[in-house]
Amino acid sequence: MKENTDLERRRFLQASGVALAATTVSANVATGADNNEMCQAPALNSLLRKATLPRPRGARVVIVGGGWSGLTMAKYLRLFNPGFDVILIDRQSAFVSFPISNSWLADQVDLDFLSHSFFDAANNHDYHFMQATVLGFDRETRRVYTEKGFVDYDYLVLAPGIEYDYGRIGIEDTEAQNLLFHRYPGGFVSSSELLTIKRKIHRFSGGTFLLNVPNGDFRCTAAPYERACMVAALFKRQRVRAKILLLDMNAEIRIKKAGFARAFAELYGDYIEYLSSSEITNIDIEGRRVETEFDEYDFDDAIIYPPVRASRLIEDNGIASPISPQKAANTDPFRYHLLDDERVYVTGDSRSQPFSKGGHTAHSEAQYVAEVVAAHALDKEVRWRSPQTMCFSAVDIDPLRAMSIITYYKFSDKTGEFAFDRTHLIERWDTQGGQASLAWAEGMYRDMFYS
Amino acid sequence: MNRIHITLCYSLCILVLVFSSKLAAVEPIRVVLEFTPDLDNGRRSFEICARCHLPEAWGNDDGTYPQIAGQHVNVLMKQLLDIRSGQRANPTMQPFVQERTIGGYQNLSDVVAYISTLPMNPMHNRGPWPVDSEEYESGKRLYRQYCISCHGQYGEGKNELSYPRLQGQHYTYMKRQARLARDRLRRVAPVMANLFTTLSEQDFDQVLNYVSHLPVPASDLAPDTAWRNPDFK
Repeated sequence: MKENTDLERRRFLQASGVALAATTVSANVATGADNNEMCQAPALNSLLRKATLPRPRGARVVIVGGGWSGLTMAKYLRLFNPGFDVILIDRQSAFVSFPISNSWLADQVDLDFLSHSFFDAANNHDYHFMQATVLGFDRETRRVYTEKGFVDYDYLVLAPGIEYDYGRIGIEDTEAQNLLFHRYPGGFVSSSELLTIKRKIHRFSGGTFLLNVPNGDFRCTAAPYERACMVAALFKRQRVRAKILLLDMNAEIRIKKAGFARAFAELYGDYIEYLSSSEITNIDIEGRRVETEFDEYDFDDAIIYPPVRASRLIEDNGIASPISPQKAANTDPFRYHLLDDERVYVTGDSRSQPFSKGGHTAHSEAQYVAEVVAAHALDKEVRWRSPQTMCFSAVDIDPLRAMSIITYYKFSDKTGEFAFDRTHLIERWDTQGGQASLAWAEGMYRDMFYS
Repeated sequence: MNRIHITLCYSLCILVLVFSSKLAAVEPIRVVLEFTPDLDNGRRSFEICARCHLPEAWGNDDGTYPQIAGQHVNVLMKQLLDIRSGQRANPTMQPFVQERTIGGYQNLSDVVAYISTLPMNPMHNRGPWPVDSEEYESGKRLYRQYCISCHGQYGEGKNELSYPRLQGQHYTYMKRQARLARDRLRRVAPVMANLFTTLSEQDFDQVLNYVSHLPVPASDLAPDTAWRNPDFK
């Protein structure tokens, strides 16, 4: 027994050395693999026991991350292979949707519309939900470590999403990063950020409100522009004397350009000041001043959306692609498994393919990857198919009016890269688009949670 | 207007009864349309569909979307109403076909009429076995034995009885739907459901392969795959 525990401890330390350093366990343990005394620390022991779960009823698939990708995977894995035993792990206790959250900021839907229970999803689709934080995994023993104990897997699906990368806007100091995150959250990672943002904009009494658009492959390309519209619509409705300073780190509006440019001019000319090629180089948090390459701007309040990178779970467990600028996983671009391990799949916004990071993309992609995993278990092959990216952007409120875009991707053997395919863009905003955006979200929630 | 609604609801009630009775296997299913379609309004309503189905309504050759261009109005209407009611499970589409989104029966009638007039994809996805191959011939024999009486010699279907037009449908889509029906994830008419106990998966693949090679009348096709629906320029 003692020997087993020791072996287990070593494996765990190898698997998640970096993750451990962030827990309460002393740094001694993380570096000294043979310190038996420290092993007695209660915190560590809880990590080394088997998590309490229902007895497996077949090959076990463990999914890390209950976002749009993980939820969809869990449902369709059970559908495509009823023999699978599926465990979905997420650190949050409830699901709050980021898509449509901009419309919620401007009171066009209520919080109930966005909020859903992991229990409902698991009960309705016959899998198990476990609320826990994944600390690391060992691919040799096929074991995932959480603070509630470890879980063994036959297949591991990683869908841990994104993290902010404050370093890319000049904030290198971790303490400053933390402060910036708490004071001016971006609203793309956790639901508390959204609640803070809503309070901020509803209580804003006037002055300069700073918003920005990050560069790189960030989550939901249209969202920062849409958010500027929603915040402006709210200020307009509440007659707040405010200027929204929208600093775009890109050379031009990245998506639905004509539509957004027209909205900024026609609807919000008195509110939105849009500045392109405005690379943020530093932020004085206490002084409320933002520096770009050539200018400085004072602000009264802000929502800072830094560039993003793949979840650290990918890098910390040694599976990041050495050539990925955002530290995405080193996977087969068509089959989604690690290049050196067909038992471990990576989907959603930690993927290495340059697909749009958004809910719909993750949802359509996960249905395909679920088929791939189900087929792998039967030693079969599935023909690759493109994810679908569908993205509504709210432009005006009362009633809600929105634009939309749908696109696919195709792989060019010549360039060795993915490109957009069969794009259909509706840049005219209307109430039909607004209604459609809500119908779209409702359909997605219905699919992931209820039917 | 009210009277029209009542008439239609009445027909729907009959429909539900037919579905739930044992007669379903022999009774033809009929959706009665009491509306005169307005194609202009259909085009406007179709915009909501086109946000996913794209303006050409040609479907995807990966089987995730069907070709609906050129389909019979009664078939389209029956599927819309089945999805609206949940009789056909399609969680992501269901909210789009509710009255609050797509509108009432008149709008549905307009939009299906519009879709049925769209020219079809000239390069729909076809099965792997070419004309004259052994598998193609086997599919042809099975089609003549089991399918022809409802779906017709050329896979043209039958509007009056809501039998779908199969010619021009993506092989991948039909295969996917067949799998769903076989696994009981899609409810289909009892006479269809019975076929899944009669025919093997391989039989089905061969039948669908044959169907996917049935020619579509040239007058129903778009000139080429580069054609784009001019109503959405």
